[in-house]
Amino acid sequence: MAANKFLRCGKCLMITAVVAMLGGLAFLYSGLYPMGADVPHNGITYWGLETMRERSIARAASAIEVPNDLASSERLLKGAADYNAMCASCHLKPGKNQSDFTLGLYPAPPNLAQKGDDHGHDGGHDDNTYALQRQFWIIKHGIKASGMPSWAPGHDDERIWNMVSFLQRLPELSTGQYQVLTARSDNTKKQEH
Amino acid sequence: MRSKFLTLSIAISTLAFTLSAQAHDPKEHMNNAEKPDCAAMENMDHGKMDVNDPVMQAMMKQCMGDMEGMSGSEAPKGDKPEQHENESSTEQAGHNH
Repeated sequence: MAANKFLRCGKCLMITAVVAMLGGLAFLYSGLYPMGADVPHNGITYWGLETMRERSIARAASAIEVPNDLASSERLLKGAADYNAMCASCHLKPGKNQSDFTLGLYPAPPNLAQKGDDHGHDGGHDDNTYALQRQFWIIKHGIKASGMPSWAPGHDDERIWNMVSFLQRLPELSTGQYQVLTARSDNTKKQEH
Repeated sequence: MRSKFLTLSIAISTLAFTLSAQAHDPKEHMNNAEKPDCAAMENMDHGKMDVNDPVMQAMMKQCMGDMEGMSGSEAPKGDKPEQHENESSTEQAGHNH
């Protein structure tokens, strides 16, 4: 008697799962979901994607070893020019609050000239080491379907750490300091040759 | 004929690969980047500067040449801006004739 009930329940569950799967496939093929970047995700989709992104990055980045000399002026200087050339158009700089990319991309790229608490894209972690590992991983590998490319091709780990180094000081820079650090003087050209 | 075509193809693809690799070279960014505007640093109160701060150290590295150049040329002469203006206007006047 109990076995019969269990079998009937199992059958019901199987049928429900198959119907749900077919319903999901039908929805995918219907083309009803709005894919335009100008229409935000609904709350459930956004939550699902964000949770998946953060869990995936946390798992992959936790074993990354952070260099000890991340606060050095050499790293800061090298990372500054790369940030200005590769990141500033989307992630902005002191004195600039928006660009065509920040207005048009969805999800909007975080303004890294602001502190993590202000732009709300720091992954919600207080652990500073994890924040560094996370930034390194995101720059190196990029994020699918977000507009964030992987910078690994053509950029070695040291160069990516230099950018992470610059990111730690970026929110406190004035426009004048940013200009001096990201510019290329004859001195730095000589040092790098 | 065929070997010539092959050689040419290899040469072109090698050149294309080399150029694409150079696009990610930091020196490419240096050529495009603007020069540092060190005038703001000149006017800063040097007593308040924290020389142990990596940001300040990096800025000083960037502006070292400019600051040395400016203080070296201005200090001994003690020239005033008006004098420079007069000199340049005289020079311009001279060139016009």
